[in-house]
Amino acid sequence: MRNGVFAPFEYDYMLKAILVSGMIGGICAFLSCFITLKGWSLLGDALSHSVVPGVSLAWLLGLPFSLGAFAAGVLAALGMGWVKQRSRLREDAVIGVVFTAFFALGLLLLSLYPSHLNLRTIIFGNILAISDPDLLQVAIIAAASLLVLGLKWRDLLLFCFDEAHARSLGLNTRFLHFLLLALLSATAVAALQTVGACLVVAMLVTPGATAYLLTDRFGRMLGIATATGAGCGLVGAYASYFLNGSTGGCIVVLQTLVFLAVLVLAPKHGLLAARARRREAALPTA
Amino acid sequence: MSLLEPFHHAFMIEALLVGALVGTVCAVLSCFLVLKGWSLMGDAVSHAVLPGVVLAHLAGLPLALGAFVAGLFCAGATGWIKANSRLREDTVLGIVFTGLFAFGLVLFTKVETEAHLSHLLFGNILGIERSGLLQTVAVALPTLAVILTLRRDLLLFCFDPAHARAIGLNTTRLHYLLLALLAATVVASLQAVGILLVVAMLVTPGCTARLLTDRFDGMLLLAAGSSVLATAAGVYASFFLNGSTGACIVLAQAGLFALALVFAPQHGLLARHRAVAPGGQAAGI
Repeated sequence: MRNGVFAPFEYDYMLKAILVSGMIGGICAFLSCFITLKGWSLLGDALSHSVVPGVSLAWLLGLPFSLGAFAAGVLAALGMGWVKQRSRLREDAVIGVVFTAFFALGLLLLSLYPSHLNLRTIIFGNILAISDPDLLQVAIIAAASLLVLGLKWRDLLLFCFDEAHARSLGLNTRFLHFLLLALLSATAVAALQTVGACLVVAMLVTPGATAYLLTDRFGRMLGIATATGAGCGLVGAYASYFLNGSTGGCIVVLQTLVFLAVLVLAPKHGLLAARARRREAALPTA
Repeated sequence: MSLLEPFHHAFMIEALLVGALVGTVCAVLSCFLVLKGWSLMGDAVSHAVLPGVVLAHLAGLPLALGAFVAGLFCAGATGWIKANSRLREDTVLGIVFTGLFAFGLVLFTKVETEAHLSHLLFGNILGIERSGLLQTVAVALPTLAVILTLRRDLLLFCFDPAHARAIGLNTTRLHYLLLALLAATVVASLQAVGILLVVAMLVTPGCTARLLTDRFDGMLLLAAGSSVLATAAGVYASFFLNGSTGACIVLAQAGLFALALVFAPQHGLLARHRAVAPGGQAAGI
């Protein structure tokens, strides 16, 4: 392995991995602004685990993996809604029961019928070995999600921020709810090969939270989150070449480090700013 | 192959016994988590133990200790960031546990450990070693004893923290006690079901029992019973299927939950259907 700073760019597979990680990081980050506002972290985690049986079934049936995964994600989301409505259990408990059942089914199927994506790839991602047809599927999903998000972001924002108000304005909140669930499933499928089912939720939460600490305006939050997500994707994949470690792990660790830096240093909502404000407030009385 | 074949192997008997113990501890704790709404917390703490295991290995400490400390650190860090920022708790939890899990993964690829990653993640109940067995029992039994002794206080804390505080219970201490019990339970289950599936053991039995009864002691018993049954069925089925044992256990849990959802005497779908039908006629008059 060569060691120069530009060494990763000399390999086609590294170049591809870096670009794809950046693209997926950006799209997940765009969606993460809505997820953090709505408080859907658990749902993001749940749907990213629920897509696993779809991968295996699609392989058995000879369908594209992303189609099966997306269908499994949507089915899990519908299943959660159905059980929630018809039982007296709390939403978080229902989500926990349904997603673990889907995930376990996926694991069982994979242990019985190995597919072209092995267990390790599905759980941890393996962007370095992504095949061209899979790359094409990911690119299509990413473009479609971005298009829908771009067209509908104002409606979705109102839905996430104040559902009752959105309904009173005549927005179809049921439709928006399902739209957001479908987008979440689609993004989880796209991110599956980059970071794996276990770490997708980081891409869907951390950039949005980072941006939320930096600004009070939603348009700007979208911009900052997307830039953070894409940047961490690019740099994380690049760094994984030198660390020789898991690409998904590097990307998520980087995102977490950026979040921690912002948590301390953010100009208005950071820890240091809060401490300075407290000291200022204490001075006149002292 | 005869149906009794699994019972002729020592490793199967051992697996069934360990499974029953771990299943009981998880199920008893799950009743509290389900009432408190802590499913995500269970998920988070179980993922967060990974870096602890790797670091403990580096430092030459028992893996269980590292896992326990890492689980507690996740909960503590989440509480601290939540108190000092304007982010929602679920968001902070999502950031902290994925950060720790990813850190653990990167560490794992850099460090040579004797532990198999797949065993940590999915458990290895059929190949559990003598030392692992002792560790599981040593963590599981005290945890179970503490939960059962303090179940009244914990129940009140989960159900109505304000009331618990009003009658003089130290809710901060109960909060951290429940977190410590959660971390200990995750550590005890690590060898049997692994990091990724333990959340099912920590949520599903409580949900199943909640559909079946309105009394808390009954709920504890039913949760433990359903969990032990599911664990035994899962271990038994995996012998014949030759598939992942952890996955079989979780699917058996989900199967029991589905049965309870449909057939529960009072809160099941059929019972509700019957209850609504005459009521609907009455309203129609």
